[in-house]
Amino acid sequence: MTWIVWRQQRPVFITLAIGLVVAVAAVLVLRAAMVADLTARNLVDCAVKGLESCRGPASNDFLNAWFDKMHLAQGAVIAAPALMGVFVGAPLFAREFEQGTHALAFTQSVSRTRWMATKFVVAAVPALLFVIVFQVVVHSWLDAAGELGPLATGPFYFTTFEAQGVSPVAYTLFAYTFGMFAGALFKRTLVAMSLTLGLFIAVRFVLTGTREFLITPTRIVSDDPSKPALTDSGPLVVDSGFLDAKGAVVADSAPLMNCASRGDEPVVTDFAACYRKNGLAQSYADIIPAEQATTLHLLEASIFAGLAVLFVLGSVWAVRRQV
Amino acid sequence: MEPREHPPVVAESLGKKYSRGWALRDCTLEIPAGRIVALVGPNGAGKSTLMGMITGLLRPTTGRIAAFGDVPTGRGMHPAVAFLTQAKPLYPQFTVAETLRYGRNANPGWDQEYAESLVEKAKVPFGARVGTLSGGQRTRVALALALGKRPRLLVLDEPLADLDPLARETVLQTLVEEARTQGITVLLSSHVLAELENVCDHLVLLTSGQVRLAGDVDRLLREHGESRLSRLALAHMREEVAA
Repeated sequence: MTWIVWRQQRPVFITLAIGLVVAVAAVLVLRAAMVADLTARNLVDCAVKGLESCRGPASNDFLNAWFDKMHLAQGAVIAAPALMGVFVGAPLFAREFEQGTHALAFTQSVSRTRWMATKFVVAAVPALLFVIVFQVVVHSWLDAAGELGPLATGPFYFTTFEAQGVSPVAYTLFAYTFGMFAGALFKRTLVAMSLTLGLFIAVRFVLTGTREFLITPTRIVSDDPSKPALTDSGPLVVDSGFLDAKGAVVADSAPLMNCASRGDEPVVTDFAACYRKNGLAQSYADIIPAEQATTLHLLEASIFAGLAVLFVLGSVWAVRRQV
Repeated sequence: MEPREHPPVVAESLGKKYSRGWALRDCTLEIPAGRIVALVGPNGAGKSTLMGMITGLLRPTTGRIAAFGDVPTGRGMHPAVAFLTQAKPLYPQFTVAETLRYGRNANPGWDQEYAESLVEKAKVPFGARVGTLSGGQRTRVALALALGKRPRLLVLDEPLADLDPLARETVLQTLVEEARTQGITVLLSSHVLAELENVCDHLVLLTSGQVRLAGDVDRLLREHGESRLSRLALAHMREEVAA
């Protein structure tokens, strides 16, 4: 059975292989060029220590030249799962139904379930490999940029989070299984492809917005209410504001305005005292610390994996049903 | 005492309804083993629907169907049944040799030597892509794929429809020869009666989704005082149109 699917999917695999070779080569060339640029501009130390240690035209020119390119590479890692769903998952069964060759498969002695399972696994492996290899190569490029690249903004920066950890694999499984299910259900390649792209974007959009609610945030507090509780850019800020003297959240921070300089009145110099006088005892931030990024990756991935399981079961039903 | 062998096909008040209406109604019949059965009827009489239910591709709306005693399901085809649909689906990008390898991988009882000999007899080159073959050659390859699994019942939906007269003759000849020598029950549908004349020994006639005639050809001819199968069938189809 494996041979059959392998033979059938051969054009897809060849396309994937060529695409991967081209993509990896391009990323490696860009990485090498960027590393050379770092050395030429004398920024190697800066990439390790951070932007603060080397403000100046050299680092600005470097960022102008490379930052958007690195962002685009992250964007490509984010887009790869959708491509796998649309071009590998959706046609998997839809094309058989369209060409009538499902009748050939259904009239052999192997059960439909086994036929389905083999197709599912054999076609999925190259698609997943593609995404994983591409993700790793892009990550190695961003890593080389160190503190001058997108990774410096912490693991929760949106393009970074979605292009890292188990997320791309989870997105790929989701897109691929949905494409397969839509193809088996509607039996039309074009319909399955469009639905896959549409649903993938919609679900990803919704879960990106609600991801932070998957984890109970940690509250950090600053005793000086005039200073923000969080100074570091790494963690993900879920909520922030002020606490009153009893430690309760101040729902309306309008009293803050009393401390703003107004017309001819003397300028407030001790902001902290003024804030406290107006009932704002402390400032707080509810955050998800950078160390919990992996947990968040796994939580989000488990939602996508759960949906993928549903789609696999749906495909089994759709393929086995008799009309 | 040996348990009684189940007949290839038993249908009891079988019916199939599509959204546009009944395609087959109240069909009760038994197809005996070792026969070459002609399933005839005008277009839309329910021939393909009946075949779809025998092979498990379609689910009956009413009644019961069994192939060798087993109810066909959507899980997979009965190992003793081979089915060639009207479109004769084959993967166009596979070569003939790869198509046979497909059959070997997908069927535990596969007889590679036999399948190869059928392709050789048809003089189809093994290295040719299926998409480049002529209609006759394609049919021969599809037939080799169906016979290679060594079925006891071979179901063929309009196997001759898209062939030229010469190819029709050779395909039919091969079919009869293999059926006789291998003891296979063949159920074949056609709306061209003349070519089935001297081939079939059992007839099932369907019109507008119902069985009009079913039984041994010689017996039917005797009962109706006809000398030829085509005349007998045509007479019944006309009756239907007149009614």
